[in-house]
Amino acid sequence: MTPSTTTAQALRPGLVVAPQLPELLRQVRVRRGILGFLRGHPTVAIGGALLVCLVLIGIFAPFLGTVDPTALAPAKRTRPPSADFWFGTDLLGRDIYSRVLYGTRVSLTVGLSVAALASLAGLAIGMVSGFVRWADGILMRFMDGLMSIPPILLAIALMALTRGSVGNVILAITIAEVPRVSRLVRGVVLSLREQPYVDAAVASGTRTPMIILRHILPNTLAPMLVQATYICASAMIVEAILSFIGAGTPPTIPSWGNIMAEGRALWQVKPYIVFFPAAFLSVTVLAVNLLGDGLRDALDPRMAKNL
Amino acid sequence: MLSYILRRVLATLPVMAIVALFVFSLLYIAPGDPAVVIAGDQASPGDVERIRQSLGLDQPFLVQFGTWLGHILRGDLGTSIFTGLPVAAMIAQRIEPTLSLMAITLVLTILVAVPLGVVAAWKAGSLLDRAIMAFAVFGFSLPVFVVGYVLAYVFALELEWLPVQGYTPLARGVWPWLENLILPSIALGCVYIALIARITRAAMLEVLTQDYIRTARAKGLGQGDILFVHALKNAAVPIVTVIGIGIALLIGGAVVTESVFAIPGLGRLTVDAILRRDYPVIQGIVLLFSFVYVLVNLTIDVAYTLIDPRIRY
Repeated sequence: MTPSTTTAQALRPGLVVAPQLPELLRQVRVRRGILGFLRGHPTVAIGGALLVCLVLIGIFAPFLGTVDPTALAPAKRTRPPSADFWFGTDLLGRDIYSRVLYGTRVSLTVGLSVAALASLAGLAIGMVSGFVRWADGILMRFMDGLMSIPPILLAIALMALTRGSVGNVILAITIAEVPRVSRLVRGVVLSLREQPYVDAAVASGTRTPMIILRHILPNTLAPMLVQATYICASAMIVEAILSFIGAGTPPTIPSWGNIMAEGRALWQVKPYIVFFPAAFLSVTVLAVNLLGDGLRDALDPRMAKNL
Repeated sequence: MLSYILRRVLATLPVMAIVALFVFSLLYIAPGDPAVVIAGDQASPGDVERIRQSLGLDQPFLVQFGTWLGHILRGDLGTSIFTGLPVAAMIAQRIEPTLSLMAITLVLTILVAVPLGVVAAWKAGSLLDRAIMAFAVFGFSLPVFVVGYVLAYVFALELEWLPVQGYTPLARGVWPWLENLILPSIALGCVYIALIARITRAAMLEVLTQDYIRTARAKGLGQGDILFVHALKNAAVPIVTVIGIGIALLIGGAVVTESVFAIPGLGRLTVDAILRRDYPVIQGIVLLFSFVYVLVNLTIDVAYTLIDPRIRY
């Protein structure tokens, strides 16, 4: 043995060692749990975090340095933002900071209620439509008709007849949103019915209610959840629009649309009255849309590539 | 193909009938006596009775609907409760500003959104693409009045480049007309641009993976030709469909935009009608817009079959 072969890489002559491969592929780290999911989908994290903040603001509005949002103070009308009145005061001397914070409650209530109600109603109608053949034609023609009325106009027409109240606003926007959800659910149901595992379930004698519960419903949840976030965002905008043009939440309730409606006449000289509720509305809608986009990417990776 | 077009046209008739039935029956769905609802809180029993008779509310439901539908088909949208004028005449008076606003917004949207979407798809994954898509998410989240007020504040109040509010008829010159509509149409178009840019990008990404694009590249065609001639033409169907569907956004947004910029169009008429509880006017406007919406989408559907040889029914 020669000294050279005493090293660790003692090799027989003639044997060549392949050079070490460069690390081409980064090691994939599987992320688990809610935190892992959020790290993988930053838009869900950002949107969700913003939304949680807004919900907390809505819930704890009375404790965040606010005063009675409806308290009139004619002596302190249209004060610009200052240390005493963070967002200024409106035409009647009401504190805009308090009004905007309490307005969070209205927007979130409307957004979440409409998303929940429209999803449930759309789910029911879509399911019936997808499973009951004779009802399908009637229901879908009716939905087509409703869908031909631009949603905001439909909500306006409904609100023009009823007394302004948060409940009526929720109902009007829900009616305007239901057709789109039912169409979506019906589409999903019809495509799921063609799946081999549904055929298998039918062949093995599973009853229809069980098929719906076990096979159809779980698979409609993901697209429904994504759709629900978009409905929530759109409902909040429609609520603000309805209140802004005087067909929404009654003026006695501080909602962002109402604050803007009251600031409208003065916006050229006192733009801050309109500015603060507008900024809150935009951020809230953005948060919900980010959440929706993130959820869509997470739940339907096929779509994520393109949209 | 002709039979398809005919079937497609006939299929819109039941849809329109349902729209009409719904708009008509709204008065009855609402809780309470329709005559009382229309008359409002301060009406005397005499007023209520007068409204009941003038609207034929004492007749059976189907008779009322039949009579009403007959009038609609002859172009009679009823009479305004507040002004006593025919609704059709009131709409005709206010339609020019709204049509102008919507037409300019549509042109602006297509001119901005389609190139943005094409560039985003071309440079997919790049910083530019991300910037455009981020803009699309923001644009989609900004309510139309928010954009409207910000634009008006910056460009009209601070910089004084454009008028703050108002409308000048086209008859008084193109520039005065256009000048008043630039800011409103940007505000109104924002959501629409975001939507169309996203759809354009998605449709283009799909097309750009096709074999004929590789062929076009292989034979040495310029990037511009490939993107705008070969790819965009083939991606056109989904884009145009969404442009058609998006008209609903435009119609809804116009109501608000007109309030923000004090444009005396149908949106203002709607808002005034709501405040006065002038229900025949609201019915007329909702019917008109729905009809326009259905007609636009019908035209687009039919146009595909004529333009795109791949579509066969």
